[in-house]
Amino acid sequence: MNLNPMEQFAVKPIFGLSQPLLHIGSHPIFFTNQALLLVIVALASALFLSLAVKPNRLVPTRAQSMAELSYEFVANMIHSATGEDGLKFFPFVFTLFIFVLCSNFFGMIPGSFTVTSQIAVTFALAALVIGLVIVTGFMKHGFGFLKLFVPHAPWYLLILLIPIEVISFLTRPISLSVRLFANMLAGHTMLAVFGGFVVALGSAGGILSVLSIAPMLLIVAIMLLELLVAFLQAYVFAILTCIYLNEALHLHDHH
Amino acid sequence: MTAPDPDRLTDLGKRLDELQTKQADRAKRPPPSQSGIAFRFATEMVAGLIVGGGLGWGIDWLFGHFGFHTKPVFLILFFVLGATAGIRNVVRAAGEINAEIARKRSSGDEETGS
Repeated sequence: MNLNPMEQFAVKPIFGLSQPLLHIGSHPIFFTNQALLLVIVALASALFLSLAVKPNRLVPTRAQSMAELSYEFVANMIHSATGEDGLKFFPFVFTLFIFVLCSNFFGMIPGSFTVTSQIAVTFALAALVIGLVIVTGFMKHGFGFLKLFVPHAPWYLLILLIPIEVISFLTRPISLSVRLFANMLAGHTMLAVFGGFVVALGSAGGILSVLSIAPMLLIVAIMLLELLVAFLQAYVFAILTCIYLNEALHLHDHH
Repeated sequence: MTAPDPDRLTDLGKRLDELQTKQADRAKRPPPSQSGIAFRFATEMVAGLIVGGGLGWGIDWLFGHFGFHTKPVFLILFFVLGATAGIRNVVRAAGEINAEIARKRSSGDEETGS
């Protein structure tokens, strides 16, 4: 039995597909457990949201109210963070929120794989967000967008402050992606470690086997906490996207 | 059964709207937990160091490519700038969290007052 708590994060080919699907350049592309979960998450969320909603229903079913609640939740979030003109980014933020939320929740199913525990996935998402922020800023303000990096200060301080502001802007994709990735990684590692305790105690025999119920109970509590973290991290990712978009749209107005 | 009084209906609608916005304000933002705050500060700081160091290293590499041996001048310079940016981010994050807590406290006072 393998008790390595990091084992669950290994990306490997599945379905016995040890041959790569295709080559891009000389780089082989495999169909991995990560790819499978990405496909499942995308399909499940898209199917659920489109099948649950029927426009001519007077009293919504449970599924429909779930879809409508998530719609309203994200719409309110964008409205409060960016104001009226941020709402044209609703499709983007909503997709991002639902995708991260579903990835986190699908990762909570025992035996599955958490795609958001891979820095490659979270960094790709964060880079997408920052790319959109930069494009939006330049489209809306032209080169005036660069004023974002110029704080109110005397000119001799600006020599120092502008590089700091630029670096501070560039840290955003890193802190955005590391936060999501590290939270998921830490939570799932903790679950696996306590799972290992149960197995080790259970196989020790005698009085120790009885004691294995204690880490088992702890796992239940951590599982509940992880469900909260799964939602919270999706929310944080979405709200930070809104905040960054707000800065691109309104520059320093909000101060 | 008589037709409903339109004034009362609009009044009811207004009251419902008020209640709903109040409810939404309260429910919308999950409270920042202590460990969440600590974790946020840590990532902001580390991200600053990574970006600063990475930028400096890249500039050194670029100059080295063109035959200027600046290594490790820019690495050191940008590492310090990155640390400054990281601290600035942490201070900014702390300010945001403070503002959020203050807002929550003021809305909480309203509730107990009414």
